[in-house]
Amino acid sequence: MKRKALSAAVLAASLVGLSACSSDSAESGSDSVETVTIGSVHPLSGSLAGVGGLMNDGAKMAVEDINAAGGIESLGGAQLELLDGDSQGEAQVGQSEAQRLISGGAVALVGTYQSDVTQNVASVAERSKVPFVIDVAVDDKILEQGYKNTFRIQPDASSMGQAGAQALVAMGEETGEPIDSAAYIHIEGAFGDSVFAAFKEEAEKQGITITKEITYSGSNFSDATTQVSEALAGNPDIIAVTGYYPDNLLVAKAVGSMANDTKAVFGIASGAFDDTSFPAAAGDAGTEVLSANYHYSATSDRAADIRARFEEKYGKPMETASMLSYQAVEVIAEGLEESGSDDPEELRDAIAGLSLEDPLLAFDGPIQFGEDGQNENATVIVMQVLDGKVEQVFPQQFATAELVFPAGSGN
Amino acid sequence: MTATDAPAAPQAPKLRPANGAKRQYTFLLIVIAALFFVPYILPDSAQPVAVRTLIFAIMAVGWNLMSGFGGMFSFGHAVFFGVGAYTDAYLLTAFGVSPWLSMIIGAVLAAGVGLTIAYFCLRYKLAGSYFALATFAFAQMFYLLSQNLGFLNKTDGINVPLLPEESWAMLQFDQDSKFYFWIPLVILGLAMAVTIYFAHSRAGQFAQAIRDDATAAESLGIKVMKYRLITVAMSCAITAVAGAYYSQYYLFVGPEQAFGIHVSTDAIIPAVIGGIGTIWGPLIGAAVVGPLSELIAHLLRNPPEFLEFLQGTSGLDVAVYAALLIVIVIFLPKGIYGTIRERMRK
Amino acid sequence: MAITEAPAAPAADKRNPLTAGGTRITLIIGGIAVVGLALVYLLGDREPALITQYLVSGLLLGGVYALVSLGLTLIFGVLGIVNFAQGAMLTLSMYLVYVLQSSLGLNLYVAVVLTIPLLFGFGWLVQSMLLNRLTEDASHDRPLLVTLGLSLLIVNVLLMIFGGRPKSVDAPVSGSIEILGALADTQRIIAFGGAVLVAAALTLVLRKTSMGLAIRAVAANGTGASLVGVNVRRVYAMTFGLGAASVAVAGGLITPFTTLVPTAGEQFTTLAFVIVVLGGLGSIPGALVGGLFIGVLQTVGSLYLPGSGSLILVFGIFVLILFLRPQGLFGAKQ
Repeated sequence: MKRKALSAAVLAASLVGLSACSSDSAESGSDSVETVTIGSVHPLSGSLAGVGGLMNDGAKMAVEDINAAGGIESLGGAQLELLDGDSQGEAQVGQSEAQRLISGGAVALVGTYQSDVTQNVASVAERSKVPFVIDVAVDDKILEQGYKNTFRIQPDASSMGQAGAQALVAMGEETGEPIDSAAYIHIEGAFGDSVFAAFKEEAEKQGITITKEITYSGSNFSDATTQVSEALAGNPDIIAVTGYYPDNLLVAKAVGSMANDTKAVFGIASGAFDDTSFPAAAGDAGTEVLSANYHYSATSDRAADIRARFEEKYGKPMETASMLSYQAVEVIAEGLEESGSDDPEELRDAIAGLSLEDPLLAFDGPIQFGEDGQNENATVIVMQVLDGKVEQVFPQQFATAELVFPAGSGN
Repeated sequence: MTATDAPAAPQAPKLRPANGAKRQYTFLLIVIAALFFVPYILPDSAQPVAVRTLIFAIMAVGWNLMSGFGGMFSFGHAVFFGVGAYTDAYLLTAFGVSPWLSMIIGAVLAAGVGLTIAYFCLRYKLAGSYFALATFAFAQMFYLLSQNLGFLNKTDGINVPLLPEESWAMLQFDQDSKFYFWIPLVILGLAMAVTIYFAHSRAGQFAQAIRDDATAAESLGIKVMKYRLITVAMSCAITAVAGAYYSQYYLFVGPEQAFGIHVSTDAIIPAVIGGIGTIWGPLIGAAVVGPLSELIAHLLRNPPEFLEFLQGTSGLDVAVYAALLIVIVIFLPKGIYGTIRERMRK
Repeated sequence: MAITEAPAAPAADKRNPLTAGGTRITLIIGGIAVVGLALVYLLGDREPALITQYLVSGLLLGGVYALVSLGLTLIFGVLGIVNFAQGAMLTLSMYLVYVLQSSLGLNLYVAVVLTIPLLFGFGWLVQSMLLNRLTEDASHDRPLLVTLGLSLLIVNVLLMIFGGRPKSVDAPVSGSIEILGALADTQRIIAFGGAVLVAAALTLVLRKTSMGLAIRAVAANGTGASLVGVNVRRVYAMTFGLGAASVAVAGGLITPFTTLVPTAGEQFTTLAFVIVVLGGLGSIPGALVGGLFIGVLQTVGSLYLPGSGSLILVFGIFVLILFLRPQGLFGAKQ
């Protein structure tokens, strides 16, 4: 019986440990309006830790900037406080982190980069009636659940596919180099499938033939030569690509190593082609690669200032994902300002109704959310790698450099 | 039929008289009753961790039956967890079937899948690392299949829709509801009771004898394949129930959540840490491992002063967890419970 | 006996499975491969030039797989350890190369040569400080958990030091050449050559050195070897070190065409196990041929089963091999 008592003691000890968890953070209730707490859930460890860390830093910097500028005026200058959650890239961890942050007093959440984790956090937000502003997460499906508390700043997968096709046609017209055919290489799964489906629908409407659709597995991919040679076999005008950083880098390198007469490599929602580390990593193969994606606005002085300070502070360039986290915190701050309350439900209504001018992203207009919570003015612009740097080239209003088309990749 | 006619294999545990089982049932009842009050003590923020720990614990109890008592080391319990999770989510979204019913259907399906896999592995005499790798390969195949099957939504996974109101029939409550803790607690209690019953039953005694020396058991006329398969079926069924509950609690299941490698290790780690092949091992292991990474993360979020410089270093919490895992495995060769039991005996 | 429950008991076999050539089985596999490829060319309904490209890419990918599997086959075959840290050790060596190159400005291949002793030391330490404590009991669950923990530890320590942003290294050679009209990346050809070289070097070490003799003796019969005075624990440490050193070559040679993040090596772990079992536990030619076979199967298979579909094929074959020829292609018969 003694050993059972001992095992009971082990059990009890671990329970005590558990209850020690965050018992101290529970006291920050919502009655004091001196500080307002925002929860941030991102993958701070695991395979996505790099971008997750950047996003968390982006959100942190937004909080500091807002506090330095006097906090939330309508709440008597209340200061913001950011609680970090680490999803570890796993859906169930993301969910428990979201619950932890909410019971720790968070009146709003930002996150999470991955679509599956976002699903889980969105259901927590819905049940707790706490607004959740998605900075990055692409699946259309997330907002199709009819949730009332979830908002998304970036465009969804299918609208990016559609906008990508439109941009391609417009660029062809502008440069007098019409595009008749495209081969499409994309990652397997919901993200790649829905971008491709939307692209295909729009492209075919505009008279572009899809010569070939080639998919690859995201979890086991270390050579793109075969996929690219298959894509080139049909002699397409362009090769369109959708996927994440490592795999898209491989695709660009493979295209670069093969003789071909395509007019361009054209990323759509590509995780690589407009990343600041891409030009150096891809070398010659990266030259003049195009990328249609949501992007921080390089023509906005405010965004430029934030990026400069970010790089100085954290020693890393501020990628678009990180800018979106910054933007998400601003959206919440604006909601607090408008509602004049730190009650999550009033905050939700305020966010649903707001119209935030001067977005940090290159969007069509102010950030405002539709019925389903999607930012109605979210869109993509086209970037191009020129002189070892990612430049914005299309449409004209956002251009920082002249579009080179047909691009010289591979020739 | 008493346990006396079970063969006395060299390392077979001392056969306990019937009152041994009775004492274990009583102790189990006390433990479960004590755990019943946990939601009242824990702060809200720790509740999800407690539920997650319970789900781990159920899985570990299931795994322990096959791998601990049956001696067939499974490195692919994600298969059975995933079958349970997807069965629940699919039947619910496609046909509106109550999760309670889905749990049973999922358990039966998983047992069927487990029997098939185990039958072939045993038929071709795979053992040890080979058996583990075969089960691992099956888990990978299920993972890849679920990514490619249209009716399971491929990589999208399946969302369990939120209901406007609490419903017992549909196993959905308010987010903070204590039932989310109590239901898996009861399931865990039942799974433990099955383990105790099995350990003392004739079939269980045979299974352990086969584990310790299959050739000797066979020469005594024990049907080796039959008792091994019985063990496997029970193990898979219990694991599937954990999976079904996972879908209901997290309201979402995708290939990674159902069949990912980490699911299989989540089943193994608590059982090995607690004490493989013991009745209480998985329970204790889960109670330690479940909150461990959370506790470390908590400590590192609010570090004591001399460690302040570590704050905000991403990866540190998992690294500490990994180091602790290695230390526990190396210094407690029989697991926490197994080592304690040995010390007490001396 | 280290290979506790492996169905193949190599002790009595004259040929030592670690280095046995297996001419017959090579011919059989070669025959199957040729017939399979001929069928693809004739009846496959795909452009011949495209198939050639897939074949060449598959062989080069197979070279990478072989390179990663060579170290594992020693560790798994001799020590019986299901080493889940294989992928993490691969990443570790990639970062070592990266550090040597970026901080000391070394040539890539000089850096690779320098990482070999470093990883050997690392492997030695892991075995002698951690895993040797577990070899008394014949269980495989504890070594497995330790390597699993080790893998988590390595990945997250790398994350703490380098952050998760992608890194890349410069290679002194680049570009590609044409083979039968198909394109072959120079870096991958070098990696392929590296695989053959490592296989040859390991065979030489095992056959010609006293260390190799001790390893073979322990692999064949651990108790016997200790009776005649071999320090088994030391041999275990050497074996793990040797396995880790092979991983260093693998990591170094694949760095130029891999995006360097702390989880970069993970994707190879699973397939390396498939290859090692396929080739036969502890068999060096087996790992080489197995790697090439899986590389070609996966790549050519993706002509018909795109994306992860071809991986299902790979695991299907793996299970069949486990059932029908558990000693692997090059394993000694029972």
